[in-house]
Amino acid sequence: MTTFYDEVQAIRARYPERSRSAVLPALRLAQEKHGWLSRQALEEVAGALDLTPAYCYSVASFYDMFQLEPAGRHTIEVCTNVCCGLVNAQAVLEAFERELGVGPGETTADGEVTLRAVECLGGCSTPTIVAVDHVYRQSVTPEDAPAIVAELADG
Amino acid sequence: MSTPELVRVRVDEREVHVPKGTGLIETALAAGIEIPVFCYEPRLGDPIGACRMCLVEVEGMPKLQAGCTLTAQDGMAVKTARSSQQAAEGQNATLEFILVNHPLDCPVCDKGGECPLQDLTFRYGPGNTRMSFEKLTFEKPIPISPTISLDRERCILCYRCTRFSSDVSEDGQLVAANRGAMSVITTFEDLPYSGAFTGNVTELCPVGALLPTQYRFEGRPWEIVDVPTVCGLCPVGCNVNATVREGKVKRILSRNHPEVDEGWICDKGRFAFTHLRAEDRLTQPLQRVRRHGLEEVSWDAAVDEAERLLREARGRIVTVLSGSETVEQAYALAKLLRVGLDSHQAMLPEEVSGALDAYRLPLSAIRDADVVVVLGDVPVVERAPVVDLWIKSARRRGAKIVHDAGDEAAAEAERVVLVWSGPGGRGGATVAKLAEKLALAGREGCGAFYLPETPNGRGVADAWAACCDEEGEPVESIGLLVVSGDEAAADDNVRALAEQADATIVISMYGGLSAGWADLLLPGTSYLERDGTFVNLEGRLQRLRRTVVAPCPDELEWISQLAARFDVDVAPYAAAVFGEISERVYGGLAFGEVGERAPLRGYPEAPEDVGSQALPATEPKARRGEIRLVVYKPLFSGAAVERVTELQFQRPQPELELSAEDAKRRKIGTGDLVTVGSNGSAITLPARVNRQLRAGIARVALEHANGLGGIVEVAKAEAEVRA
Amino acid sequence: MAETTVRVAEQPALVLAGYVGEPLRDLEAYRAVGGYAQLEKARSEDPAAVIQQVIESNLRGRGGAFFPTGRKASFIPTPDKIARPIYITVNADESEPGTFKDREIMLKVPHRLVEGCLIAAHAIRSKQIYIYIRGEYLEEYESLQGAVDQARAAGILDTVDIVIHRGAGAYICGEETALLESLEGKRGQPRSKPPFPAISGVYASPTLINNVESITTIPAVLAVGPAEYAQIGAPPDSTGTRLFCLSGNVEKPGVYEAPHGITVRHLIDGIGGGVPGGHTLKAVMMGGSSFPVMTPDDLDTPLDADSLGAKGYFIGSGVVTVIDERSCIVQFALRVAQFYMHESCGKCTPCRVGTRWLVQLLRAVENGTAAERDLELTLDVCDRIIGKCLCVLGDSAAMPVASCVTKFRDEFREHLAHGGCPFGADSQLAGLFAPVDQHAHTTVPQEASV
Repeated sequence: MTTFYDEVQAIRARYPERSRSAVLPALRLAQEKHGWLSRQALEEVAGALDLTPAYCYSVASFYDMFQLEPAGRHTIEVCTNVCCGLVNAQAVLEAFERELGVGPGETTADGEVTLRAVECLGGCSTPTIVAVDHVYRQSVTPEDAPAIVAELADG
Repeated sequence: MSTPELVRVRVDEREVHVPKGTGLIETALAAGIEIPVFCYEPRLGDPIGACRMCLVEVEGMPKLQAGCTLTAQDGMAVKTARSSQQAAEGQNATLEFILVNHPLDCPVCDKGGECPLQDLTFRYGPGNTRMSFEKLTFEKPIPISPTISLDRERCILCYRCTRFSSDVSEDGQLVAANRGAMSVITTFEDLPYSGAFTGNVTELCPVGALLPTQYRFEGRPWEIVDVPTVCGLCPVGCNVNATVREGKVKRILSRNHPEVDEGWICDKGRFAFTHLRAEDRLTQPLQRVRRHGLEEVSWDAAVDEAERLLREARGRIVTVLSGSETVEQAYALAKLLRVGLDSHQAMLPEEVSGALDAYRLPLSAIRDADVVVVLGDVPVVERAPVVDLWIKSARRRGAKIVHDAGDEAAAEAERVVLVWSGPGGRGGATVAKLAEKLALAGREGCGAFYLPETPNGRGVADAWAACCDEEGEPVESIGLLVVSGDEAAADDNVRALAEQADATIVISMYGGLSAGWADLLLPGTSYLERDGTFVNLEGRLQRLRRTVVAPCPDELEWISQLAARFDVDVAPYAAAVFGEISERVYGGLAFGEVGERAPLRGYPEAPEDVGSQALPATEPKARRGEIRLVVYKPLFSGAAVERVTELQFQRPQPELELSAEDAKRRKIGTGDLVTVGSNGSAITLPARVNRQLRAGIARVALEHANGLGGIVEVAKAEAEVRA
Repeated sequence: MAETTVRVAEQPALVLAGYVGEPLRDLEAYRAVGGYAQLEKARSEDPAAVIQQVIESNLRGRGGAFFPTGRKASFIPTPDKIARPIYITVNADESEPGTFKDREIMLKVPHRLVEGCLIAAHAIRSKQIYIYIRGEYLEEYESLQGAVDQARAAGILDTVDIVIHRGAGAYICGEETALLESLEGKRGQPRSKPPFPAISGVYASPTLINNVESITTIPAVLAVGPAEYAQIGAPPDSTGTRLFCLSGNVEKPGVYEAPHGITVRHLIDGIGGGVPGGHTLKAVMMGGSSFPVMTPDDLDTPLDADSLGAKGYFIGSGVVTVIDERSCIVQFALRVAQFYMHESCGKCTPCRVGTRWLVQLLRAVENGTAAERDLELTLDVCDRIIGKCLCVLGDSAAMPVASCVTKFRDEFREHLAHGGCPFGADSQLAGLFAPVDQHAHTTVPQEASV
């Protein structure tokens, strides 16, 4: 079994020596492994890249996709930028809020699902775009919310 | 070096000629024009153009430009806010934006009165605010370490501090987190900002966001005076200012000597000054009274007693020096003991050699080197912290850092600098030999440094040697041991000598060090309380000033008094004493000519070997597979540091550093407990694998070594298996 | 759940050539429509000649800046002039609101992007290509990686290496120097220029940075020939076709390839089927959310840089987002401002502070707590941001906001007079939640409300 350290070294090899380019891929890997970037996860990344945990934290906190607080096993991300907003994104977000019983940025009490509002996902002609576990669903309507949530509960 | 091409630049109505590539901020200054800045600080590396305070109009460019990011080009025409309405509006806008979130707590801000934001707002800023919404608020102040407080509301996010952390000290601990308006400066989780140089961020901060906690509410700018002096806590001799209020040192600031420290000082130099006011500071002499132990006596009585002890032991007196005395103190003592009492034997805690005098150069030459050879296994930062910054600076500029004088790179490069960082090294004689081998003498930008353990070992040795030509016979049995300074008083070897001596006089700031064995204890002063000179590791003679009056008489005062009783003429003033020694060592340089930022002068007559006898030190060589334990004195140790509560977090962890090779062979990983032993005694410590360490070397801080040293056995601790 | 409409709306088919509904993800399928033929041809030519052809075509950047692609390549020093590797970085960080074309390129014709990359690599003698793709694009990443893997297996990469580097959610990384910083494993904060990437880009080496569509157009330029290409569209400056991104309140939104120069009205009404449900067009988010909004009286403006520029608009990344009369323009401006506040990197003062201030001002207008002087202040804050920031993000926030206040001042005033939004809850954008109000990265205790 390859360890996290080894996997990171393999990523490192794609980039010039002494560069820090492997930071983002390594953070993504650590997040997949831990579910979020806990203190321990950040320390692991730092250790594998000969960087300080503070540096890794600094980088991670810059990017929206890195979770610095415990997150659910699943994520539902609703685009609420203008193009989706013009075609009812807010209603879609609210449908998920009702369905999950949490607000945007929150995780269900059972730790299963994190709901987030996100900026433009680049699917503007098929609003509303909802990324379910990072896979885009197009033309989502408020009526689709229960089925999507149920799907996650089954999976 | 070829002379750089001069270019003509017009700034507002003035024209200047500067070397091509000169920064625009400096170019404008050359024209006598200030372009205001916040984030710009050339010592932090390339400009980042973040704060937008330096907006200027440049002919041929449609938009305002961040002046700090531009360099002088021939024919360039720049209009600053003085002559460009657009630039003035730009600056005004920047200040308005900066002040949108900046709190108006200037009256209770320690930076008030010496704050660049206040000054620039006064000169360029808007007179009122149009911001009627809630400012960003944060919990404040937050201690980011026991020595530094962070006020995030005041922070204007100029990124000077984080650039220092990543690009100067390279500790990577102080970082920016989040994005946009939510950006904050932080450390990782709850960890304190630790390291040798953290305090510099308090001086870099252009607002009252990062402040030294020791100085919190301690003084207003109009109540203080900054006294220029030199730090006396390590052999670098960083140029500092001591901020004094009502006769007390309140703060230490850097005083940028571009050849010595470039304006960086270490946290020991910055924060350890409160040792002056330590509770156990001696202010009255103590004399051992049979069956009563040490008892306080008057200074008159103490001088009488000293006279008696000296008289009794004439010719059989051994003096132990700390290397932290001023040149003048050492000379005065030498004159008293050598001329007055025919006692020539002195010991320094380390060897001092003049062999390096042929390879002298300013520390700043390290930055410009092509190859820096760092020899020895004591971390540079623990011995001479700022030297570590110079080496890092060299590496960032592309220099090769190697650890073997035989490295091909050293033989081939143009500018080569050697740095010896102990242990051993015969006071620099070893590294001088290596420099000779590489034929570095007289070559531009080439030279060698030896990092001594004591701040003024060279100056003390020079003074002792120069005072008298006689040599005297080695002392068979010690009649009187004179121990000068806290470092000597804290040395176990000295204590052992004291036990052989008939009597012992100790000059020390703190009684505890020698309370068990001194017969007469005379209160000593700190470098911050002395007038005089120090010679740093470059061989640079620098001036110490009395920043505050000591709570006890100056050493020169009572030495002079005592000397008179033996018909020796020692002046009680540093200037006069210096004049005398200068005739012999410093080419007759007058005290007043030493200089506020002293130049690196040559010694008129470099003595071949000024070393006096050193205390015994053994350095057995490790054979293949063996491990030699290098025990180093950490930067954060010693009598002063021990008395500063807020520096305790900086002391080294109990741990054993192991090379990657040795660790692998023993299947030891970082965090594993290991036993280190030799001759039947052993200690157990957590291991830390250090990829920088040579195979065959293990390293531990003196305070965790438990007396171990030399060749040791290292193995994974048994208990670890069960745990 | 509908699929995105992607089609050639007006001939010629260049970027989407050969795509007729089935993604050309398979190497052989791409080869069947002439794929990689231009690479082979280019590799037989002198690199300088390839650059010359791109210069002659007057192909311009499709990412938003519209800089001549060939000229950009000509700034890269030749290997004999510099002792460092030469890099190509493809900007696939498509994040401009309203933009979804690069994504479709990577899904539908990924090999054409690879071919364009390899032609560019030959032209500037680069051996290393990094494609920086936004982190949210998972399927797109997989599609593109598949194409790269196939090309590698078929020996098409030759001595060139392509690494696809995934971003992690930061709009600013679409700014070229921020992208480089991010690629180097840092916070994606833009660098001060100069030095320009052509001299000192990624890893302090010469770097050519191009948008996905620009690079993907290169094989088409070579296929039709530069002279012919330069005649397509609205020469001399807006040559060729581009992928227009039509969205919002429109009947048939989608990605449409059409030559520069068709009018906005034709795109919306002719190609897009007009505003649905009998509603009327109120404004167009033209070029992307970073630019001034278009009012209905300008709908006959041709979609080319000069025609748009003459009226104070930008072609940007080819975005045309239709906003009908049901939406409150203050809410629109507020939501746009919130986006930029969220995406400001925090490096330079005017953008970091100004974007938050704009949100506060617009929120006050929307809530009816603002006064007339706040409209002037809003415009002044915009003015104080524009042209004074380290990169264009600040301008991108200020330009649309200022255009809304200026062009829809009556609607803003109505808010002031009405003591709040006259639409009530009826606006389509009413109460639209913005991620900036989400405590995503607030492990440090702080007050996030604005």
